[in-house]
Amino acid sequence: MSIETWTLLIAIVTAIACGLCGSLLVVGRQAMVSEGLSHAVLPGLVVAFLFFRSFDSPWLIASAALSGLIMVWVTRALSDTRLVDSDAGLGLVFAAMFSTGILLVSLNLKNAHFHADCIIDGNLALAPLNRADFPVLGRVPRSMITMTATFLVIATFVLLAYKELKIMIFDPTHAARVGFRPVLLGYVWITIVSLTTVTAFDVAGSVLIVALMIAPPASAYLLTRRFSVYLVLSMAIAAVSAVLGFYLAKRLDVSPTGPVAAVAGGLFLLVFVFNPTNSLLATRLVRHRRRKELIRCLCCELMIGCADELEALTAVSDRLRIGPRIAQDLVRELQSRDWIQLSEKSGRFEMTVAGQEAVAQAVNCPA
Amino acid sequence: MNVSELLSDHTVRVVVLGSAMIGAVSGAMGCFAYLRRQSLIGDVVSHSALLGIVMAFWIVYLLTGQGNRSLVVLMPGAFLAGLASLLLTRSVVRSTRLKEDASLGVMLAIFFGSGMMLLRYLQRGSPPIPGRSGLDQYLFGMAAAMTRADLWMIGVVGAGVLTVMSLAWSRLKIITFDQDYAAGLGLRVDLLEVVLLALIVMGIVIGLQIAGVVLMISLLVAPAASARQWTYSLGRMVCLAATIGGVSAGLGGVISSIGRSLPTGPIIVLLVTLVFVVSVVCAPRRGFISRWQRGRQIHVD
Repeated sequence: MSIETWTLLIAIVTAIACGLCGSLLVVGRQAMVSEGLSHAVLPGLVVAFLFFRSFDSPWLIASAALSGLIMVWVTRALSDTRLVDSDAGLGLVFAAMFSTGILLVSLNLKNAHFHADCIIDGNLALAPLNRADFPVLGRVPRSMITMTATFLVIATFVLLAYKELKIMIFDPTHAARVGFRPVLLGYVWITIVSLTTVTAFDVAGSVLIVALMIAPPASAYLLTRRFSVYLVLSMAIAAVSAVLGFYLAKRLDVSPTGPVAAVAGGLFLLVFVFNPTNSLLATRLVRHRRRKELIRCLCCELMIGCADELEALTAVSDRLRIGPRIAQDLVRELQSRDWIQLSEKSGRFEMTVAGQEAVAQAVNCPA
Repeated sequence: MNVSELLSDHTVRVVVLGSAMIGAVSGAMGCFAYLRRQSLIGDVVSHSALLGIVMAFWIVYLLTGQGNRSLVVLMPGAFLAGLASLLLTRSVVRSTRLKEDASLGVMLAIFFGSGMMLLRYLQRGSPPIPGRSGLDQYLFGMAAAMTRADLWMIGVVGAGVLTVMSLAWSRLKIITFDQDYAAGLGLRVDLLEVVLLALIVMGIVIGLQIAGVVLMISLLVAPAASARQWTYSLGRMVCLAATIGGVSAGLGGVISSIGRSLPTGPIIVLLVTLVFVVSVVCAPRRGFISRWQRGRQIHVD
């Protein structure tokens, strides 16, 4: 296979792994933990590299994942003291750890490929070149293997603990009551997230990890209410972002990191503005309709008891503070809808049965 | 080079003065972000500002044919992009069921992702734009790149932010702690909120040159979180945070000017984090030591 195909494949697998991982973070209201982790793994990575002087040592992964766990643990301990709230604690801890990493890099590794840019951009373009022999598969890029393995680990975990995860995320108190250990499960889960961040770090860099972990699940969250559909959709959107971003990057001749992240963000914007149920436009439309409905009801209320259309018009335009033309349209509309009519008996405006029903429905309807 | 020699050096003086002013403004504004429990907007706004910085640079280049990296050009761009990301977050939270943390996170993808894309594109394109190589200093901060004109810009903007803050002091205080009460008093909560957000964004944007977009959250939040441990009054907290921010940033500027062109951001972050750790441990009443002593007293009694 050509290098380009490998790059694309690696990007897709990374995206799917991050998307699945992030989808659980987003529903668990831990989205920004991924931002923290993607920075906090750096010092672990650098320290292990300084020690072993090799990028391929598995100790790098272990040390970096541990570094991520330390970040999570310190943040939690800090917020448990109630001296700082957890958001501020997260920000302080990951920034301090990332700074340590950056300083170690600039002091000790001036010319290594640990260049500060690579930390942010990742090395997706170079990933297919670092190959190794694997049984059965032959000579395959290392990143392909690590990312696939990572994805399999996450997928197995999600499948095995599907029910427990669901309860833990949507009803933590119930989870504690029915007796499995949500704290333990939480730590296993965070360890997996930390591992994913580490393996994706070399390929994707810190920007893209966060983008892929949050943006595709956020889009999926607006599109469905079913948990299983949501998980699959998150992965699918992540994969689409990877493919589109990859070709955009080729077109602009830049590293794929920025473009893939930007495409994931762009897809979210599309979903946010246009999706049928839970979007900017849909919400606006519902609000607009409710408003009109309410104005119609008020208008009926004001018209009741008026002797003729002129009196009704004055009442409506005075009380609702609207212009006479709009008032006239409203009054005519209500009559043509047969909500309210001049009664022959009393000679005044009275609500019809249909009108009463319509008003009752509009007022009872939940906002 | 000893200290007096160092401080008589013209460049170093500019850097120290600039960094100190920046640290003071960011520290003061950070208090409001911190007390509103919105510390993470510091992270998102600063990352988003990268898009504004690169866009401003690009637009000025397209208009004039020159690459211009002075703050006068870049700061308005950063401000607009930062504010846009916040307003978009608010709109997402208000009109969908997505929670605030995820909405903030998505802004990282949209703004920082496209900012990085544009940055790399400008750095790659030919013919090379003069001055483009300095743009990525905004990732990790480089105080040494500060010029005299930047110093003026920082001074004017910083003074402006602090003036608005003191003029609107009581109102900002009310909407920081109790929005319902503010609405009950008949204040225009929406408008005030945008003003406060704009001030916080200014406090973030002004610091990008020394702390960089990636680490700015620390310069914003750490002084506030440290100051919070020592006092229970907003006025004292803001003054203390400004002092902590100013001193740490100034010191960080000096250290990075001496040491072989180290990025300034990480140094400043480690300094403010150190102050934070000391505060959490030593502060009277709230700190670890005083808690531990109190615990012992109860035990003895």
